[in-house]
Amino acid sequence: MQDDHRLSASQLEEKYGTSINKGLSNARAAEILARDGPNALTPPKATPEIVKFLKQMVGGFSILLWIGAVFSWISFGIQLAQGAESAFDNLYLGVVLALVVILTGIFAYYQEAKSTNIMASFSKMIPQQALVIRDAEKKELPADQLVVGDIVEIKGGDRIPADIRLIFTQGCKVDNSSLTGESEPQSRSCDFTHENPLETKNIAFYSTTCVEGTATGIVINTGDRTIIGRIASLASGVGNEKTPIAIEIEHFVYLVAGVAISIGVLFFIISVSMRYKILDSIIFLIGIIVANVPEGLLATVTVSLSLTAKRMAKKNCLVKNLEAVETLGSTSIICSDKTGTLTQNRMTVAHLWFDNQIYSADTSEDQTTQPFDQSSLSWTALSKIVTLCNRAEFRPGQENVPIMKRVVVGDASETALLKFAEVILGDVMNIRAQNKKVAEIPFNSTNKFQLSIHETDDPNDKRFLLVMKGAPERILERCSTIMINGKEEPLDSEKAEAFQTAYMELGGMGERVLGFCHLYLPEEEFPDTYPFDTDTMNFPTSNLCFVGLLSMIDPPRSTVPDAVSKCRSAGIKVIMVTGDHPITAKAIAKSVGIISATSETVEDIAKRLNIPVEQVNRGEATAAVVNGMELKDMSLQQLDEILCNHSEIVFARTSPQQKLIIVEGCQRQGAVVAVTGDGVNDSPALKKADIGIAMGIAGSDAAKNAADMVLLDDNFASIVTGVEEGRLIFDNLKKTIAYTLTKNIAELCPFLIYIMASIPMPIGTITILFIDLGTDIIPSVALAYEKAESDIMNRRPRNKRKDRLVNEQLAIYSYLQIGIMQSVGAFVTYFAVYAEQGFLPSTLLGVRVDWENNAINDFEDSYGQEWTKYQRTYLQWTGYTAFFVSITIQQVADLIIRKTRRNSIFRQGLFRNKVIWVGIFSQIGIAVILTYGLGHVTALNFTPLRFQYWFVAVPFAILIWVYDEVRKLLIRRYPGSWWDKNMYY
Amino acid sequence: MATLNEKKTCSERMENFRRFVWNPETRLFMGRTLINWVWISLYYLAFYVVMSGLFALSIYSLMRTINPYEPDYQDQLKSPGVTLRPDVYGDRGLRIYYNVSDNKTWEGLVTTLQTFLEAYTPAAQHLNINCTSDTYFIQDTFDGPNKTKLSCKFTSDMLQNCSGITDPTFGFPEGKPCFIIKMNRIIKFFPGNGTAPRVDCTYVGDKPGPLEVDYYPVNGTFNLHYFPYYGKKAQPSYSNPLVAVKFLNITRNVELKIVCKIIGAGITYDNVHDPYEGKVEFKLKIED
Repeated sequence: MQDDHRLSASQLEEKYGTSINKGLSNARAAEILARDGPNALTPPKATPEIVKFLKQMVGGFSILLWIGAVFSWISFGIQLAQGAESAFDNLYLGVVLALVVILTGIFAYYQEAKSTNIMASFSKMIPQQALVIRDAEKKELPADQLVVGDIVEIKGGDRIPADIRLIFTQGCKVDNSSLTGESEPQSRSCDFTHENPLETKNIAFYSTTCVEGTATGIVINTGDRTIIGRIASLASGVGNEKTPIAIEIEHFVYLVAGVAISIGVLFFIISVSMRYKILDSIIFLIGIIVANVPEGLLATVTVSLSLTAKRMAKKNCLVKNLEAVETLGSTSIICSDKTGTLTQNRMTVAHLWFDNQIYSADTSEDQTTQPFDQSSLSWTALSKIVTLCNRAEFRPGQENVPIMKRVVVGDASETALLKFAEVILGDVMNIRAQNKKVAEIPFNSTNKFQLSIHETDDPNDKRFLLVMKGAPERILERCSTIMINGKEEPLDSEKAEAFQTAYMELGGMGERVLGFCHLYLPEEEFPDTYPFDTDTMNFPTSNLCFVGLLSMIDPPRSTVPDAVSKCRSAGIKVIMVTGDHPITAKAIAKSVGIISATSETVEDIAKRLNIPVEQVNRGEATAAVVNGMELKDMSLQQLDEILCNHSEIVFARTSPQQKLIIVEGCQRQGAVVAVTGDGVNDSPALKKADIGIAMGIAGSDAAKNAADMVLLDDNFASIVTGVEEGRLIFDNLKKTIAYTLTKNIAELCPFLIYIMASIPMPIGTITILFIDLGTDIIPSVALAYEKAESDIMNRRPRNKRKDRLVNEQLAIYSYLQIGIMQSVGAFVTYFAVYAEQGFLPSTLLGVRVDWENNAINDFEDSYGQEWTKYQRTYLQWTGYTAFFVSITIQQVADLIIRKTRRNSIFRQGLFRNKVIWVGIFSQIGIAVILTYGLGHVTALNFTPLRFQYWFVAVPFAILIWVYDEVRKLLIRRYPGSWWDKNMYY
Repeated sequence: MATLNEKKTCSERMENFRRFVWNPETRLFMGRTLINWVWISLYYLAFYVVMSGLFALSIYSLMRTINPYEPDYQDQLKSPGVTLRPDVYGDRGLRIYYNVSDNKTWEGLVTTLQTFLEAYTPAAQHLNINCTSDTYFIQDTFDGPNKTKLSCKFTSDMLQNCSGITDPTFGFPEGKPCFIIKMNRIIKFFPGNGTAPRVDCTYVGDKPGPLEVDYYPVNGTFNLHYFPYYGKKAQPSYSNPLVAVKFLNITRNVELKIVCKIIGAGITYDNVHDPYEGKVEFKLKIED
């Protein structure tokens, strides 16, 4: 173990060849970097790529297909041993099935690798920076460029970029929980306090976070040589727990696999008992499995999710975890920060009071004028005080920047006043120059006022103007008159009462109120040359003239009220969690609609009824403002009660630790909780939440690392957009799955009828694969582009235990209704093809054994013509093609009806989603290519189909459409009815 | 991101399942009340009745468009298939093996031929007329009884030495067996373009010498008056003309590969996919 903690600063300088003031030279740093390598942990041994790849090969439906392939090879082996001619068909089928598994596996692997890369690039996007002194210059460097001997500066919120021996600290505390598990922040100093380097206070460790204060130190270890790098068990604790969508997909896979296996086994038993050969029965089993498994679906789901993630990134939601997209959609409670998320994070003048009247100011983000009445002389006086009694200044060189965006040197209130004045009066700096300042007393907490004395801009008026602003009650104390409509009037008790009322009203809105007064100093007493002394205050500071009040607030973002009301109609509870004062918190909550206009807190009711708070019936209050101090003393039951009984809750004066308690409380209610956070201390809450949302601008690295999603614009409204996208993807996945499952029945029925009625095989296994992996792929991805149905944000959030992705209604409607219609349509085409070539439907029944007999080469059709085996087989392939084409045509109808689940297609618009049309054309295009382009490749079992057979299924496609429109109409017309319950998926 | 844990024990799962099948509290059977099950069953019953009706209607209207005399298309029947009697199939196509001194090995073959020719006895052919013309027997009208067309008589005696009349064993014991070649029926097919198509049998591959064959009828031709065929409904008593071939110099104890092609315009025998189109190939081995 090193003994750096024992060494003095100068010994350290010597040891590492560095200087505390100047740091390393760039050249030296580069040398050390070359020697030691970058300051980063060697990533823990990841799962070998080959294992990941193999996992893809056996996951999901792959197992079923492997079983199919193995069965094919077994029957190939048996048939080969028996010397049958058709043995090789089964070999090929097995190979094709294996290829399908391998190809979809490769695709899934590629997708996963890609999303891993996105996440990797994400962590690069927010690289950790370190403030380093090199060559006597402070600069920001990526943390991995640090080398031993570098001097780094740390402040609250930073992650410690390496193991650091501290040489200067100021109130520095670190959170060592990632290293030691202690949750309390540890204070750090420069003193050597313990023999053990892990215990001593003068070393800060890599990967821990500085919670508060500042510190400077020498890097003593980098990369894998840091303490944490040496702890081998660091391997990040990514659990194998599943996200809601992963559970849904698994549920779906089980369901479909269950159906496939039970139908397969059932018909295996049936066919064996119908005295089919075991070998044939096995081949039927393979067919049934292949028909039942939607081979392309899992790939489609992945593609849809990543499409949504991309779309969300465009709307300023950066998703770190693909599946988080959907989780956001099922959110039922959002715990939001106030400052910066709900508000603009800057003080703005909200109200004015002069001439006994309250005026409202515009608080939107991009104000250019102020609409209130500015004709009063009182306003002129007030505006002069606002302009002059203000130390804030614009940074130079921002003339072309909009006023609201200009950078100001000064505190928040003065900035607000400066911008307010600039908007109304124009060039404030010029006005100040014309009213030269001769003396000034800055604000301090004992005086609670700020005062300055100016020459006037009127060359004829030689008086000095004394202006003062400060806490309203203090200002009023110093006044004897009040300005009403430009005239000074004595400040009697009635006027003082009016002042009190206005002050209370503005204060009650959670606003910070300032009072303004002035006094023209008489020329005879205070001539030009009068020496103003601010220490002795040789000028009057009482009997001034009160001019008005201005109140300021950090106003809500203009998009937030709308977003909150969207949440409300979407059944999402928005809880405000803030460290701010309860009154301010409540005011903002009211103005954004978190507490709606009509609802009252217990305290409001008490005030209205004029009774003590204890006597109020708590059930009547829909809103609650909970103070952090109260929360501290609450039991879990009491918290649960509050969360349960009140629909509108604000937590004020809360600490980040309490945020965690609140999140856990919400989760106890069974809610899916989204939490926003920016500070280091928010990380536990972000991790605990179902979906943690970090702020992109204000957020600390620690918060971003703990979160599942980053809001690039820190705007609450973006969360709502995210919720909408999340719900949309859930709906669209439902649609995709419904679309894909439907044709499984049309693929399955042929096998069942073939076994039961012994007709020539209507569709081949290979042909089915061409539907599942050919024509159907692009359309099912296209459904991910479908726009939301109108009600998407008017529904309650999904109940993750009850509302499944694939529910009973979806499966039954797809399988037993639309699927059956498709099958009927396809069978009509099949019978038409056979009939027009000479085999009438009646002839086909029970014909299977002779039809497939290689030894019969003069098989008689309904017209007495005789057919060789090959001629029959070719006709059978024509049948396959016809069946394939019919399914494709009806899948077009299926695709169109799946655009909506409730609304009419005409309401949704046939052409709004252009990608659907790409899907339809691709579907038909692929079918045309397969039929006419590859119709001569016998191995694929396609034949150039006569043109008219493309249209046989069209009436059934129309029927599907009409039937589904009627279904949707009845659902809309009779909500909650038997029909709605059974037919809405 | 915190995640959902849905780990359940086996007994919990069983309990859940039992609850699903019959929930005594809510009186739900498999997730529905009994009356609900009745409703849903009735709905599906109605739905499937309607779907069956639609299917039946579609098939009915399909049948209405079908011509009962001839099919709309003959896409796969451009050239007729050819079959052989007796037809014993091995692993790869026709394979006729027998031993002259063991009548059990050839009695089956002889019976096949006799059974096959039963359709060609004068009694079986009594509905058909005698034809003498050597041209196509084209009938544009229905001259037969019950709106049918006439068919020409083909009786087994036309096969002379291979008719089974003079030699009921068809030459099998002598090692000079008879085989019957049949061409598949295709409606309105005119083989040979005016010249009668004929059968031509040769060795395939190793040739132990020229193959000596007797063809019956003379030259192994199918007389043109058997063509065209007008279909089962128009010619219910039609029977295919036959050609019998008698192999005279079969080397004993050697497996020989023989192909019998039908030579005539409009009949192709070079389709790589279809071994029975325009020709029939078989293996023959006579042991002693």
